Amino acid sequence: MKRVRTLAAVGVVAASLAIPAGAGAQDPSDGLSGSLSIAYWNYGPAAEVGNQVIADGFMAENPGVTVTLTPIAGENWGAYYANLATTIASGQRPDIAFTASEGIKFLAQNDLVVPINEFLANDPEAAALQADIAPALLQSFAYGDQITALPYGWNNMIVYYNKAVFDAAGVAYPSVDWTWADFRETAQQLTADTDGDGNNDRYGFAWASNEIFPGILPWVANAGGNLVNDDVSAPTANSPEVVEAVTFLKGLLDDGIAATPSPMGDIFTGFQNGSIAMFGAGRWPSATFLNNGFDDWDIQYYPTGTTRQTVAGAGAYAILRSAPDPNLAWELQKYTVSEPVQDSLIGTPDAPRDSIPTLRSTAGKTVAAGIPPANGAIFYGSVDDYPTLTPFPAPAKYSEYESTVLRNLQLIFAGEVPVQEGLDTLQSELVAVVGG
Amino acid sequence: MAFLTPSAVSFVLFALIPTVGVLVLSTFSWNLLGAGRFLGIENFIRLLEDGRLWGVYRSTAFMAGAVLVINLLLGLLLAVLLESRMPRWLRGMFRLSFLFPFVVSSSAVALIWRFLLNKDLGLVNYWLGQLFDIERINWLGSSGWAPIAVVIVSSWKTLGFTILVYVAGLQAIPREYREAAIVDGAGAWARFRHVTLPLMSPTILFLVVINTISAFQLFAEPRVLTQGGPGDSSRTVVQFIYDTAFQGFEMGYASAIAVTLMVLLVVLTGIQFLIARRWTHYA
Repeated sequence: MKRVRTLAAVGVVAASLAIPAGAGAQDPSDGLSGSLSIAYWNYGPAAEVGNQVIADGFMAENPGVTVTLTPIAGENWGAYYANLATTIASGQRPDIAFTASEGIKFLAQNDLVVPINEFLANDPEAAALQADIAPALLQSFAYGDQITALPYGWNNMIVYYNKAVFDAAGVAYPSVDWTWADFRETAQQLTADTDGDGNNDRYGFAWASNEIFPGILPWVANAGGNLVNDDVSAPTANSPEVVEAVTFLKGLLDDGIAATPSPMGDIFTGFQNGSIAMFGAGRWPSATFLNNGFDDWDIQYYPTGTTRQTVAGAGAYAILRSAPDPNLAWELQKYTVSEPVQDSLIGTPDAPRDSIPTLRSTAGKTVAAGIPPANGAIFYGSVDDYPTLTPFPAPAKYSEYESTVLRNLQLIFAGEVPVQEGLDTLQSELVAVVGG
Repeated sequence: MAFLTPSAVSFVLFALIPTVGVLVLSTFSWNLLGAGRFLGIENFIRLLEDGRLWGVYRSTAFMAGAVLVINLLLGLLLAVLLESRMPRWLRGMFRLSFLFPFVVSSSAVALIWRFLLNKDLGLVNYWLGQLFDIERINWLGSSGWAPIAVVIVSSWKTLGFTILVYVAGLQAIPREYREAAIVDGAGAWARFRHVTLPLMSPTILFLVVINTISAFQLFAEPRVLTQGGPGDSSRTVVQFIYDTAFQGFEMGYASAIAVTLMVLLVVLTGIQFLIARRWTHYA
């Protein structure tokens, strides 16, 4: 959840940069008029300011339009969706709701979201927009044949590595074509007892215990598997591919090469102080590290297993069924993907934004602007050059699904349940959540 | 009567109506969005078949019981020690130290402890290894240790309140009773056993009731420290209710679980009051 939470955070913070009025895709002479209300996850002041700036920017371009904001509380996306549902159940009818890829099936299955297929087919600007957005990102907002929103910002899963730790251990930085065997060997070489007390205090790798995406999913994807079937109607959590991925990770723990899985925030700390040499995440840790003055790191793709697939998810301003004027809501959704709004998602070398711009042309400016990491081109390259994990494994009850996966993995990684047995239990429990 | 109005309004708005709402909701299937469907007692029948729920109740009972016992015994010991002779500044410092965790946010406390208890990189394991040559303990990642970690953190967090109440109770005991006991030749233990402890019984009853209720409502500590795991080993009933309502969108079933917790706490409190009649003494 951290990934998408940060995606939302950075998305709106990025939008809070000065966006020149009249610089977006809309021509003021369009004469748009009406009112729009946007429901968004209010996780703090950054969300309030950022969404206000998007609202103000859109109103500045369209003086006939009034945009009001409905902040919705929630400690994570799951709570946000529950509170959004409560808001709708109480009779409030937002026109637009900010959502992550994980929430699309929840919105679609409850018939809350307006598909944008017709807008994409009929709007003359849509073709240019789509051509500049990697198809996989649009696909992460697919529900059956429907595309439910234009992604506004996104994140993928890549491996961060601490260059100082690599240098100290005399280990070569990972290459683009590294394999699981290379990864394991690299992690082994990086693991060390640096203070000589008989216990390792530096680990080659660590993964998040509280999230699937920066946790096991990249490994499952690169083993050629997924946690759900093609139409997200049944779990595949005990498939040979998932067993292979989890067994690999468990092996790292058993051999002392990886630190015990921890919440992502703890891993950030360990990575910065050199206790953890590598971990996986999206773009969002960049800002945290650079804000702390830590810049001796770079990124690389996850190592290739049976295959290589990118795991990516996005955020978007989805149009809700309750919108009396979906055309106007579509204009606002397009505005969030306009060049000036997207440009603001790049950030600066000292303060990069936490998500990747959706427009390929904008994302390409990031490395040219000297914004770390040096290998930053692989952010967008990951979806342009490699297949993306499909389907996006997010059933309608995403929050329950994720917690069920994590709860069972905890037992496996603690060594209290064998891998196959634990995944069989997970599979049977997921049937109640996903179906099948 | 007018003086009661604020309390009455607040009771009706924030206790009575929600309680009635939960009771009604517990007979429905409702996912927040669609229309609710009346189920009668189906949710309660489902409770009986829910193996996870009873596992969660077992872990909750263990953690709540341990926190309760630690708070009552250690709290009393520390309160008595705090009331013994010592420089005023030292007493103030101890009081502040014990009370400080209580006034800090549970989530913040749990976050700090999560760093300290990290198996591979935490300070607790580091010093246990340095001082006692103990192998690293998987405090947060094993089913055996995770509930103990929650108990340690929760007790550390709430002990200050218990001590505060105990100290107030100790100070309320008339000085003459102890002085009379001394004149009668009673030693320190005899004074504590036959004078202090009986006169502290109303305070102890109050703390038993309050600590039982709050211990069964543990939420932030296990959620931040262990996310309730591994498995359900450190999951509390309140956490389970939250997960069912806001992850599973099963508001009706979550309400039914809440009803069981409410009934359990009412019964426990009733039993405590019944038993207390035999051993509570008022000065």
